Amino acid sequence: MTASPSHLDLLESESIHIFREAAAQFRKPVLMYSIGKDSTVLLHLARKAFFPQAVPFPLLHVDTTWKFRDMITFRDRTARELGLNLIVHTNEEGIKRGINPIDHAPSIHTDVLKTQALKQALDKYGFDAAFGGARRDEEASRAKERVFSFRASGHRWDPRKQRPEMWHLLNGRLGTGETVRVFPMSNWTEKDVWRYILREKLEVVPLYFAAERPTIVRNGQILMQDDQRLQPRDGEKVEMRKIRFRTLGDYPLTAAVESDADTIESVVAETINAQTSERQGRLIDHDQAGAMEKKKQEGYF
Amino acid sequence: MSVHALHKTEATQKAAPHLEVVPNLVRELGGITHLLTCGSVDDGKSTLIGRLLWDASDLYEDQRENVRRSGRKAAGTDLPDFSMLLDGLVAEREQGITIDIAWKYFDTDTRRFVIIDSPGHEQYTRNMASGASHADVAIVLVDARSGVKKQTKRHTAILDLVGVKHVVLAVNKMDLVGWSEDVFRKIEADFRTQCWKFNFWDATAIPLSAVFGDNVSGGSANMPWYTGPTLIQHLEKAPSRASEAGSVFRFPVQTVLRDGQDFRGLAGTVTSGSVKVGDIVVDALSNASGKVIRIATMDGDLPSASAGQAIALQLDVDIDVSRGAVLSAPEMRPVPAQTVEARFVWLSEDAFSPTAGYLLRTSTDLIPISNIEIKALLDLETMASRPARSCSANDIAIAKISLGRAASIDVFTETPETGTLLLVDSVTGATMAGGIATSVNAKAEQPAEGHFVLKRDMLANGLNRDLSMSSSDREEFMRRANEVAIILRSAGVSVAIEPPPPVDDGMDPGL
Repeated sequence: MTASPSHLDLLESESIHIFREAAAQFRKPVLMYSIGKDSTVLLHLARKAFFPQAVPFPLLHVDTTWKFRDMITFRDRTARELGLNLIVHTNEEGIKRGINPIDHAPSIHTDVLKTQALKQALDKYGFDAAFGGARRDEEASRAKERVFSFRASGHRWDPRKQRPEMWHLLNGRLGTGETVRVFPMSNWTEKDVWRYILREKLEVVPLYFAAERPTIVRNGQILMQDDQRLQPRDGEKVEMRKIRFRTLGDYPLTAAVESDADTIESVVAETINAQTSERQGRLIDHDQAGAMEKKKQEGYF
Repeated sequence: MSVHALHKTEATQKAAPHLEVVPNLVRELGGITHLLTCGSVDDGKSTLIGRLLWDASDLYEDQRENVRRSGRKAAGTDLPDFSMLLDGLVAEREQGITIDIAWKYFDTDTRRFVIIDSPGHEQYTRNMASGASHADVAIVLVDARSGVKKQTKRHTAILDLVGVKHVVLAVNKMDLVGWSEDVFRKIEADFRTQCWKFNFWDATAIPLSAVFGDNVSGGSANMPWYTGPTLIQHLEKAPSRASEAGSVFRFPVQTVLRDGQDFRGLAGTVTSGSVKVGDIVVDALSNASGKVIRIATMDGDLPSASAGQAIALQLDVDIDVSRGAVLSAPEMRPVPAQTVEARFVWLSEDAFSPTAGYLLRTSTDLIPISNIEIKALLDLETMASRPARSCSANDIAIAKISLGRAASIDVFTETPETGTLLLVDSVTGATMAGGIATSVNAKAEQPAEGHFVLKRDMLANGLNRDLSMSSSDREEFMRRANEVAIILRSAGVSVAIEPPPPVDDGMDPGL
């Protein structure tokens, strides 16, 4: 007898099972690739699920044009090196209207450049299923999320229409106009993601590691000045700080932490000893009470 | 920014000052235990889960701080209100979410625990059944002052129905009965009596107080007469379903993977038993068999694989099996079922309709149903059945199903993972009911009058004439045949799909 599988082995197998169920049941799936650590693990699991075959669906990145430059470099290199079919979509109309995360409330920016953009892309290509890296441990409203999360036409999430999931049976039969979000990493925790990155020796965006970077402190949050679009306001100044990020998104909406962790090992060590859960660093969640719940109903991932 | 935002006062907080205590960074826990908690709010369920999280888990400091700072106290005490850790959806009541299970994760030093929390009220049988279907072990909570109630009986019956093997009766609020051993022993005896009629492997009662923490993670000075394990000690020993999956090999094929001309891998998860290179495996439906020559994963080939592992099997011959097939050892096959008797928990708000086009979902197959009859409803308090022709939400129904074509199905109590079923509405796709096969029969029912057989050559010459003989096209052939059967069925025609000819007669199996 072999040793019993560890919890990471079990999580990996479960995710592979979910990927295969979805790929077999849906006509045209796509993997939502957001470049961060969760997407890195999600993509790795997709590759394992279909090995030795290539990943049988494209990757979709919804680019708000406000991502850290390091993220875009990493995205393009990953797609090239792994021979992946990468689709990048931007809500050009939103950009033309001048929507941005510095002058507009995070909720408006997110709605136009993420939520609307995602809907546009899904409709444009006719995807009926979208894989995402969301986890149930991230936030209270996600604790009740299904592995197959159904969206009515118009991408609306109706809590009453969600299907009960029993045993390992995943019912992917779509009703008229329905699409589905698939979450293969539903049962992973933030710590698992880091432990798995370390175990599998996965490369992640360098922003997760501490380095001296130009920063502005605003509303008690450390922001990185990734380009000249973010300028100090009265009383603020640009200072070099040794920082890293626990979560990556649009750079003016992503708070850094001061840290000396500049290797994967020290980042994992820091995460395992973490004093705060990761979403504290994500500004859009604090915008309104029940923010995530509301965004989800509107179709945000 | 709103008041919900962070510690604004500390602009330059350090991420984590304590780096010294990480003995092993890639700490892999010795397994996962899925833990269902059932009982009503009055029994102190939220407090118990909160207490488990508080005492035994790796909660983040900000989550602890929220509880401390809130000033909320557990009723009648000066202790923090641990149930806060369970706060869920913002507007749950307004939304009228009816089938919801909340998932919570925590780690002890040795295991990952997944808490599956489902609403406890009697009208929520379906929620509990759906949550319990994922559980390795269930905590049934009772209030020491009231003991085993009707609801406790319903809960244990549901646990048994969906295959939970390990049950803990948590006798809570012992502080309110003066920590009395007599009270506990009486409840324990009632519980034992109740459990005898079920298939549990282990049913243990533990006296505790969730508010004060007695026998949750630490022992109890108030109950020196109790010498058994604390709740956490007991849970850490509970085995997972996967580790108890049994020795009968089952491998439902999810999809076929290809790599050039040389590799055709049958991808799936071993649901029970194990397989090794050199084993002969067989598809019970087509009778096709082959020898395993390779067990492929991206991390390298494996010599063997067991329950829970996701793999791809390469066989020495290119047998025509695809999604829906269940591979087994030749001598221990699932039944190629034409009729199934099953017990279902009715999950949908829409009641059973004999004329709706239902599909049967098994591990990886989706089969048109040519006839379904409700025979009886089960009373969970008495376990007695009474004849019925219909059923609705929260009912436990005993049903007889004739399938439009054969499918590999096991009897749930013998081989659980391949004996589970869903009833799916063919039009909306909704999951109507979840159930277990109690008996499977390879013989078709005598066709009713007007029974229409969908002939394969009829389909091949018209609807499917664009399809080739490749195996992906054969899957498409079956998909279309199923859909035609569904349409006819919804028009009131009793229909069956002609089975493929057996493989070994020299004919092509696909058409």
